[in-house]
Amino acid sequence: MRISYERSGGFMGRKLNFSVDLEELPNDQAETLNRLLQQADFFNLPKDLISRPVPDEFNYIITVETATQSHRVRVSDSSMTDPLRPLLDDLFQRARTGKG
Amino acid sequence: MFTQRMVYCILPPYLLREIAQRGSPAQRASAQRAIIAAEQVRSQRRTIQANSAPMEAVSAAGKQRYVYDAKQSSVLPGILVRKEGAPAVSDPAVNEAYDGSGTTYDLYYAIYGRNSLDNNGLKLDSSVHYQKGYDNAFWDGQQMVYGDGDEDLPAPERLFNRFTIAIDVIGHELTHGVTQFAANLDYSGQPGALNESISDVFGSLVKQYQLKQTAGQADWLIGQGLFTSNVKGVALRSMKAPGTAYDDPVLGKDPQPGNMKDYVNTVEDNGGVHINSGIPNHAFYVTSINIGGYAWDKAGLIWYKTLTEKLGNQSNFQNAADLTYAAAGELFGTNSLEQNAVKAGWAEVGIIIGGQTQEGCFKATLRKLGLSGLLKG
Repeated sequence: MRISYERSGGFMGRKLNFSVDLEELPNDQAETLNRLLQQADFFNLPKDLISRPVPDEFNYIITVETATQSHRVRVSDSSMTDPLRPLLDDLFQRARTGKG
Repeated sequence: MFTQRMVYCILPPYLLREIAQRGSPAQRASAQRAIIAAEQVRSQRRTIQANSAPMEAVSAAGKQRYVYDAKQSSVLPGILVRKEGAPAVSDPAVNEAYDGSGTTYDLYYAIYGRNSLDNNGLKLDSSVHYQKGYDNAFWDGQQMVYGDGDEDLPAPERLFNRFTIAIDVIGHELTHGVTQFAANLDYSGQPGALNESISDVFGSLVKQYQLKQTAGQADWLIGQGLFTSNVKGVALRSMKAPGTAYDDPVLGKDPQPGNMKDYVNTVEDNGGVHINSGIPNHAFYVTSINIGGYAWDKAGLIWYKTLTEKLGNQSNFQNAADLTYAAAGELFGTNSLEQNAVKAGWAEVGIIIGGQTQEGCFKATLRKLGLSGLLKG
């Protein structure tokens, strides 16, 4: 399973992109990400959660690809839901430090 | 919009989850949408409640600032930590949000006669300490929201300081509120970049007003002080020289163009709203330098009149050029020094007053070729 994180927008307009293969992660980290995906009910989320543009906030595109399915979700700071937030937080920490 | 979402909340969440798991595909999709809408409403409800009740009571009462502490969470607005007239607290982010929104209010009121964002005394709500490691600030349609930068990383890895540290960032966010109540420029493509530029223009003017600097003395930087010493750069943007604010191994190079020939076509960042804003930014800078003196007095007044009386939600750069030129004529006379300065400002970025827009040229060409149908759908 591969997870991609793309952050764009923000006051600075700087892109922050990151992707990770769960197979390449230590077991406990892969399990955490799997759990966060389930908690977010990721594969059942609509493709676009953003209902209106909010000046300067971050926009995120999360793509998850497995052998059998692929799903992409677009979300922003103000349209974020509580079940999805922990997944985004985890991916952000990986993206900003460049650690898979 | 919120009313429409609230309707979804009539079904209890457990029932929606049941449907989302066991219903037909259409039912599942519908239930899933309702669950998400309810979750979004729950996280927004506190903001709405906090904003709606006192709003009427304080209208026309002058400056009304409220600063909240989000305590590193995403829940807005958070806990009230300082309100209008209360003394400074020990938290610098709180005081910066308070003082910065005060100076922004003062500029709009003293120079342009505007009573707050809506010109009707709207209270100014700010939340500081939003999330952890949030290197950003935004206007959510109702309030300002500020992150602390990279406060959670070890010092040698930090790139950003707290976002309240730069008063022009505070002026920038509040100006998004003014724009929302005035031209309400779409936050996409050229109208979006114009929206961004107007926030940079008045954000910079707030800083110049506070420092009592003339156009010649001002640094014309946006977000000076936001970078830590680990970053090779002076600020996030430069209105004087777009594209030169930073050039850093981690952050890359400032991508802003300062001329239409370098306009960046992209789908990211709502169509490059934070990139192409460099073009109208530089036009304002050149106009201000050509006029001289305090930029808020004349160039700022021309832009303010254009924003509040002339621009519409679909206005593009060419419209902004033509309408600032018209506003300068109305304020200072046809062929006045000020009107010619506006013309020269836009010429410097490759926009000729009365010229055809890029879209106009494109559409005209298609029409000539008999391909206008391509524009539909």
